[in-house]
Amino acid sequence: MSTSRQLSESRAIPTKTVLINDTTQLPHDYCTTPGGTLFSTTPGGTRIIYDRKFLLDRRNSPIAQTPPAHLPVIPGVTSLNVLTENRKNEANNHVTNHDGKPTTGDDAQFEMDI
Amino acid sequence: RCGVSNLSSQWFRAHEAPFNSSLLPSAGRSVYSGPAVVTHAGYISVEKQTPQDDNAQETDCHVDNADGNNNNNNRRKTVCPGAGEHPLQYNYTFWYSRRTPSRPASSLSYEQNIRQIGTVASVEQFWRFYSHLVRPGDLSGHSDFHLFKEGIKPMWEDESNRSGGKWIIRLRKGLASRFWENIILAMLGEQFMVGEEICGAVVSIRFQEDILSIWNRTSNDQTTTSRIRDTLRRVLNLPANTIMEYKTHNDSLRDNSSFRNTKISV
Repeated sequence: MSTSRQLSESRAIPTKTVLINDTTQLPHDYCTTPGGTLFSTTPGGTRIIYDRKFLLDRRNSPIAQTPPAHLPVIPGVTSLNVLTENRKNEANNHVTNHDGKPTTGDDAQFEMDI
Repeated sequence: RCGVSNLSSQWFRAHEAPFNSSLLPSAGRSVYSGPAVVTHAGYISVEKQTPQDDNAQETDCHVDNADGNNNNNNRRKTVCPGAGEHPLQYNYTFWYSRRTPSRPASSLSYEQNIRQIGTVASVEQFWRFYSHLVRPGDLSGHSDFHLFKEGIKPMWEDESNRSGGKWIIRLRKGLASRFWENIILAMLGEQFMVGEEICGAVVSIRFQEDILSIWNRTSNDQTTTSRIRDTLRRVLNLPANTIMEYKTHNDSLRDNSSFRNTKISV
């Protein structure tokens, strides 16, 4: 037989409502599925999902740095040296995608001109 | 086993395989667990190795298509993730094309002007290629990069594209490199969630603007095209009033143009 029971205090589940007008206003980590996708179902079932951060983090592994075997030589297109501009661009990406503010890097804020 | 004709670049004849002591178990480094795979005709599959990447051997593709999912357009895979690498849901092929603007475009000349750069099956293989390609913003002339699922040619006439279409986003100069990177990371990471529908993505460098495109199989599947559009807005962080355009490949064939006479969607 159980000893004296105490009823826990009962409260409504605290909620917060945030009004958004567009899917672009959703926070970056809004998801209910692993992998950061917005949609919880997809035709065809389980898939291998990677979010952007995960993919970018794999970039610096030693495997990823060596040139691929038999990279075609196309001057002005392919290069045997790892292109370091990519890293600088990556830093810009992180800044713009997280605050949506213009960066001082080489890519200014996206603007639509008519 | 991997008797596919376009494999030639990855296989060394046995006597040409680079002599590398890390292939021997006694070398004390971690190696691919199993014998070196000997395929038909005595070819050994190895990967050029530097001391840091002993795990980067490409494996014999023991994948058959009996899993019921058409994860490679019914083709036997020619490339597989190496040991320790992170597999992609699909293999993808990088292509490059360039056209001198004065020459009129025709299907035959288009097919001749486009060439494959390489195929990837894992995240790491993707970075190996991507890190050795010029950024789209630094390409000259009338050029395109295409990243398409293995087995699908980036052409309207390909079987996988016949009923399909594409979303396009026009970018002013200076944005192509960043947007290309973000769209292909989303595609490789399966962020679109439209089953098999995605065929590939293209970045087109043109005179006064650059254009990003994403191709899907079924142009009249509105659920799919809406979902792709919404994902694009999110992963590219597009301003709310960004104009997005959709064009079916049939329309492109009819007016022999990729980017004119599109349907506007806001």
